[in-house]
Amino acid sequence: MKHTAGQRAWKQIKRYRALFFMVLPALTYLVINNYLPMFGVVIAFKDYNYREGILGSDWIGFKNFEYLFKTTDAYIITRNTILYNGFFILLNTVLAVTVAILLNEIKHKFFSRLYQSVILLPYLISMVIVGYLGLSMLNVENGFINHHILPMLGIDPISWYSESKYWPYILTIVNVWKNIGYLCIIFLAAIIGIDHEYYEAATIDGASRWMQVRKITIPLIMPTITIMSLLAIGRIFYSDFGLFYQVPLNSGPLQPTTDVIDTYVYRGLVTLGDIGMSSAAGLYQSLVGFILVIVANYAVARRNRDQALF
Amino acid sequence: MKNAKRVTLTVLVLMLTWVLAACGDNSGSNNGGAANNGGGEDKGDPTELTMAFISFGNMPDLELVQNEMNKITTAKINATVKLMPISISAWTQQMNLLMAGSEQLDLIVTSTLMNYSSQVAKGQLLPMNDLLEQYGEGIKSVLSPEILNATKIDGEVYGIPSTRDMAADYGVVIRKDLIDKYKVDVTQIKTFADLEPVLKLIKDGEPGVAPLVQQNQTQTVTEVMVGADYDVLGDKFGVLEDAGQGELKVVNYFESAKYKEALAVVRRWFEAGYIMKDISTSQETGPSLVKAGKAAGYVANMKPGFEVQESRNSGREMVGIRLTEPMTSTTNITSFMLSIAKNTIDENKAMQLLDLLYSDADLMNLLTNGIEGKHYVKQDDGLIAKPEGVTDTGYMLNQWEVGNNFLGHVWAGEDPQIWDKMKAFNEASIKSKALGFTFNADSVKTEIAAVTNVLNQYRVGLETGTLDPEKNLTDFNAKLKAAGLTKIIEEKQKQLDEWAKSN
Amino acid sequence: MKASPIQQALIHLFFVLAACACLFPFLLLFMASLTDQNVIVRDGYSLLPSKFSLEAYTYLLNDSSTLVRSYGITILVTIIGTAAGLAISSLIAYPLSRKDMPLRGVLSFIVFFTLLFNGGLVPTYLLYTEVFHLKNTLLALIVPGLLTNGFFILLIRTFFSTSIPVPVIESAFIDGASEFKIFYRIVLPLSLPIMATIGLMLMIAYWNDWYNGLIYVTDTKLFSLQNVLNRMLSDIQFLQTNSFGSNQSETTANIPLDTIRMAMAAIGIIPIMIAYPFFQKYFVKGLTIGAVKG
Repeated sequence: MKHTAGQRAWKQIKRYRALFFMVLPALTYLVINNYLPMFGVVIAFKDYNYREGILGSDWIGFKNFEYLFKTTDAYIITRNTILYNGFFILLNTVLAVTVAILLNEIKHKFFSRLYQSVILLPYLISMVIVGYLGLSMLNVENGFINHHILPMLGIDPISWYSESKYWPYILTIVNVWKNIGYLCIIFLAAIIGIDHEYYEAATIDGASRWMQVRKITIPLIMPTITIMSLLAIGRIFYSDFGLFYQVPLNSGPLQPTTDVIDTYVYRGLVTLGDIGMSSAAGLYQSLVGFILVIVANYAVARRNRDQALF
Repeated sequence: MKNAKRVTLTVLVLMLTWVLAACGDNSGSNNGGAANNGGGEDKGDPTELTMAFISFGNMPDLELVQNEMNKITTAKINATVKLMPISISAWTQQMNLLMAGSEQLDLIVTSTLMNYSSQVAKGQLLPMNDLLEQYGEGIKSVLSPEILNATKIDGEVYGIPSTRDMAADYGVVIRKDLIDKYKVDVTQIKTFADLEPVLKLIKDGEPGVAPLVQQNQTQTVTEVMVGADYDVLGDKFGVLEDAGQGELKVVNYFESAKYKEALAVVRRWFEAGYIMKDISTSQETGPSLVKAGKAAGYVANMKPGFEVQESRNSGREMVGIRLTEPMTSTTNITSFMLSIAKNTIDENKAMQLLDLLYSDADLMNLLTNGIEGKHYVKQDDGLIAKPEGVTDTGYMLNQWEVGNNFLGHVWAGEDPQIWDKMKAFNEASIKSKALGFTFNADSVKTEIAAVTNVLNQYRVGLETGTLDPEKNLTDFNAKLKAAGLTKIIEEKQKQLDEWAKSN
Repeated sequence: MKASPIQQALIHLFFVLAACACLFPFLLLFMASLTDQNVIVRDGYSLLPSKFSLEAYTYLLNDSSTLVRSYGITILVTIIGTAAGLAISSLIAYPLSRKDMPLRGVLSFIVFFTLLFNGGLVPTYLLYTEVFHLKNTLLALIVPGLLTNGFFILLIRTFFSTSIPVPVIESAFIDGASEFKIFYRIVLPLSLPIMATIGLMLMIAYWNDWYNGLIYVTDTKLFSLQNVLNRMLSDIQFLQTNSFGSNQSETTANIPLDTIRMAMAAIGIIPIMIAYPFFQKYFVKGLTIGAVKG
């Protein structure tokens, strides 16, 4: 039997029509929710005028992007953004995977679940409140650390909110504290999904727990680790605004180590409220992330086609 | 069998979609219904006008008041009003979104503090000169041409200021019990320097109480000290010295002599412990610090009746010490106005409603104080008070945002002559020569965004004394210049010169 | 199978310490809501405040209609949003996980691209308000967050493609099972852990969402719990950093006190903590593959 190309394609579609049907709801949603508004990126290149609307406003080239590179701080905010987020991706992945593996090792289901619940708690607290709690710890006069911890160690009180050198550590701790409980659930799900037969076979062969973790658990959850990392790399120019703005309480002297692109854009535009300039910032952040993730994805795909994003 | 399962799933998906859609329809039609109440198909029906204003808390009884207001507006101008409170933190964003869309919006509160000039430049507001001629009798009888002029941009009025304090004098408020305890003669305190011995007395005699704080992180001690020395021309990027009494020369505020002097004083006070240690990161307001017994007083931008207001809000009797003459710049007038939005369905009706807010005392009292008998009761002396036994009345509008406040009843506890005093205060104030000039930042917004970031890094620290000005002020100015402050000042000078020529 | 008793003890020790680090701030928050307002302003937060007060909770109870309504809206939005989001995410994730699916790469890219690029606030707002008229509707709180930009789809896809053995699907297909049957008879039961995970995450996302409310809802009757809380928090922050001249103290007079904000935050967290064990039930390996085959 001979088939034309058209017939072959039709056969394919028929064979997979159920699967295409499954794709449909989400695809329709994404087209409407995400792709239709994308024509709006032109706002980044326009002097938006409310009377003229998006299409009628004047083109102004790259003028909306200028403020991002205008100050001497442009370098600092880019550096802070990349260093913090790059480090967070690494640290959060390692810690979340570790915690997930440890949770999986616990014999009593009750305790395992109790720990899971409790370490998820910080994720549920609004960052503004975290900022208040941080203040109650770090307050100069009556903060918990200056009042109780430092005197015990014989150290003089520290003016936490005006000394920028401590903040890379503080922000890292808050980030870990807040996010690990949430992230580890994803890895825990992946670990639970591993077929028990692998472990049973390894136990019979006399492999130690550590061996099993290294040779079975980690390789088998590698696809999840990879995808989580790739997705995070794509958003490396976006920061957790709450962490960098609310937790340092917008304190000026801390800006050298706490200012990232998101906070810079927020502070610069909060009084202007210019939507052209905010779109420009968003586009810049997306583009850089996009380029990075394409490169990273290419590297992953060369090693293992199946683990790549697309 | 195979098909049956597939059908089940399809139905499931469809049902889900339907549930979602139904939900939307429900609330959608509720909303539509509310909107139609006023609109109606009949031509004789009153026009429904939407009025957006800034809210600072819940207003459960909003609809009751609105309904009462509509009785008046329907009779007088055949229009109804729909009140639209938007919370302050969402305001700028929500205004931009509403204006980008086509949702009906007729009257909105505008303010120099919230982008008035940029709203005009971006086409969000309608010019009002002609409308004012046609329907603005009430407004013109209340607001002098001088005041209306101050709202003009390129010769057109875009907003009608509410009547309130249109000048500012600066000073401090301090707990009365402490003033009495240390037998301070407040009449002898004439300058900020005279305050120092008082602060010392409190510091030495009241452990655990900070002698001086500020209202919030923006109204810093330094800013209040030099408040009457400058016309800040909207923002602080380029100002006029001598309260705008000299020549119209725009200078850098952060390099000027008085600013520098004030920073040194504030730094000394901070180091001596007169200013609260945590002041630059405190999340509490001045009044709440006083209420909790943690602070003795705070610096403030004042007005007639300020002591009563602050005593109410800080829960203790406060004494006001005024240390400057009242001064008026454009900002004092344009800080709260009502404008007609580009999304209006009927600008004529909107203007008529606006005029009523300046001429109809009953309407204005409903809007600002609520319904008589429910939200307030009239006393024999003509003052009003909360009904007996009621603490939270369910309606509370920050009246200074809108309309002619001088039409409103005076609350018991306030000075019965408060409005007359306010008028006298406004008239007696020193007027800046640049009164009426509004800076349009649109052409230098790149620089504004960059400079704002630098400002945020240093200002609060320096102006509260937390940072040492010796070292940081130079850095601050160098960074401001690198971010483009000079260009902003030049642009401002250019616009000011043009303005001076045509006025 | 599992680690030795000593290792077990060490693991428990680790988690007890971690749990303390996570519980302490929450306790602090809870105690703050029970502290007298003036004590908070004067002395800051403390686990054992010098003066207790139930003022915050009586305030919230006095205005219980707001609280109950916003709670109801949050619950409704969370349930519908989670169910719908999970349904359409897993439906698309399955074909994308199938290596033989035509156009798999293109479709994955289409999903992934939405994670990085969006039209920005204004065009999205115009679409929802001008075309779909969702402003001030419950739907505006549900629809924009349904897929959280494809993130969850990619996570589910990865789980499907790593944890569901291809031979199982193939043999089922040869046995004449339809794709839909394979999906919900074989794939879903084997994927309970990821379904529970994504369900939980969607639930948290909906429960904690205030952004859509901020953008699409101005009618206070439709405010969710987090909207109410967030409005208080951002208002006070705005007033801290912006000057209202002589009216400054009037602007803050009506904003609820610290203790009330803390109480709101606390009662906003508790329901999720109650719901979590329900999801944890599914954090076990699904039916074994043998059972599916048989």
